[in-house]
Amino acid sequence: MLSEITLGQYFPGNSVIHRTDPRFKFVLTIFYLVLIFMAKSDVAFLFVLLFTASIILLSRISLKLILKGLKPLVFIIIFTAVINIFWISGETLLVDFWIIKIYAEGIASAVFLVLRLICLITGTSILISYTTSPVELTDAMERLFSPLKKLKVPVHDFSMMMTIALRFIPTLIEETDKIMSAQKARGADFESGSIIRRVKAMIPILIPLFVSAFRRADDLAQAMECRCYMGGEGRTRMKEMKANPLDFIVTAVMVVAFAVVLLLNQLTIAFSI
Amino acid sequence: MNFIEAENLKFSYDGTNNVVDIPKLFIEKGKHTAILGHNGSGKSTLAKLLSGILLPTSGKVVVNSYDTTDESKFYDIRKSCGMVFQNPDNQIVASVVEEDVAFAPENLGIIPVRIREIVEECLFAVNMTEYSRHSTYKLSGGQKQRVAIAGILAMQPECVFFDEATAMLDPIGRKEIMSAVDRLNKELGITVVSITHYMNEAVEADRVIVMNKGEIVMDGDPVSVFSMPEELQGYGLALPQVTELFYHLEKDGYKLPRGVLHTMQAADAIENYVKGKNDARS
Repeated sequence: MLSEITLGQYFPGNSVIHRTDPRFKFVLTIFYLVLIFMAKSDVAFLFVLLFTASIILLSRISLKLILKGLKPLVFIIIFTAVINIFWISGETLLVDFWIIKIYAEGIASAVFLVLRLICLITGTSILISYTTSPVELTDAMERLFSPLKKLKVPVHDFSMMMTIALRFIPTLIEETDKIMSAQKARGADFESGSIIRRVKAMIPILIPLFVSAFRRADDLAQAMECRCYMGGEGRTRMKEMKANPLDFIVTAVMVVAFAVVLLLNQLTIAFSI
Repeated sequence: MNFIEAENLKFSYDGTNNVVDIPKLFIEKGKHTAILGHNGSGKSTLAKLLSGILLPTSGKVVVNSYDTTDESKFYDIRKSCGMVFQNPDNQIVASVVEEDVAFAPENLGIIPVRIREIVEECLFAVNMTEYSRHSTYKLSGGQKQRVAIAGILAMQPECVFFDEATAMLDPIGRKEIMSAVDRLNKELGITVVSITHYMNEAVEADRVIVMNKGEIVMDGDPVSVFSMPEELQGYGLALPQVTELFYHLEKDGYKLPRGVLHTMQAADAIENYVKGKNDARS
């Protein structure tokens, strides 16, 4: 069950998106988010969808993995869609049955919202987590936020913490799975009973998990010390971050996409919000 | 030449019971030394003392001519004396193999181009070159441990400690690590100290030290140490399979040589014995 979580995972590769400077990717992701919410007309939205699809294609990440990443969010997506369908009122009434009134506008905005959420999740996970190794990602963040060092913000320490946290997500997931199986083998029941009972049933999982996490932390600290870790001072990086032509091309593409969306917002076939 | 010298070494965690009590110990440069002992014999503590991770309660440890209590030489000692721990999961810092190997040289402030070279050399040394871009958590135990070894090698140490580095691995993983250790020692000339309770690993060493209750009770080359089966068993240690077989055969009245450690040697010894008997008969 837990092994299906792909959130925050990295899939190594050598695609254009993998090779883009993580600092650029970080900033461009923010642009991409704005782009998704800027698209107002259906034509512009179609373009955003195509744009996202081309990102997926360029990243060479299999569609199966992307769909797997969406799985944990299916509930939220359906929930927001339903709320939109029933709550939004407009001019064209499609269904009028008892107290249920469904308007075409409601359906349109539900479709928009669902697609937006999907774009949001796939786009950001492809641009950031799937194609950027955690070390690169935290490195990029450290560099982007390095001006804060002047204000005595421990930027390096935060980025090191993030690196280690990301590195230990799969390890701890595996561990949780193991502990759950072990407790199940001893007759623990996690699936039935009231919510309070189920929450209580989590205690025998969380305690061993925490104990082992502390032990791991202790071991890791020693191992890091043995490898001469002395904090951020005087540390160098194997991967130098130098902006290369590819990064500027990617940025240019993003700017063009921005302009296109602004332009297409004027065009509408059937709907716009 | 001695790489590590310890004198009047005493260590206790609680201040009363000495976990380690050793009057004198030298670790020779370029040699493979194995430290054996049952659980709680103080072998891991000794390794941590000799590599400067723990500081002695009293006495002195000199690593590569640096005293381990000298704080200004802390990172020089770390750099010349690496340690591979038991659990591979708990010593890998990064999510990608090559980034993990680069961790130590990055800490040492080496220039990026050189780090890249070092990482490639180290991955090659442990035969993990093709995995350089893989995620660390998807590797097998033996592969993870080889990455950990490469991570230590990247500091370019003169000595590497293995603190039960094979204890959590399956037989295949153990074999991989043993051949990597052998390579470090024989090809790269790195001093190796391995702490283990697998006798078959100790057999490969140049020197075997047996510990019991914090003291060194046996010290010598594998042949001489494993020629004393009763003594070893008295310290709670099992014998290497072949040695144990010969020990029982000897008890049953067969006159076989002592100190046979490898399967092939054993086969030869038995062949000679049988031939000798046939010759005597005819």
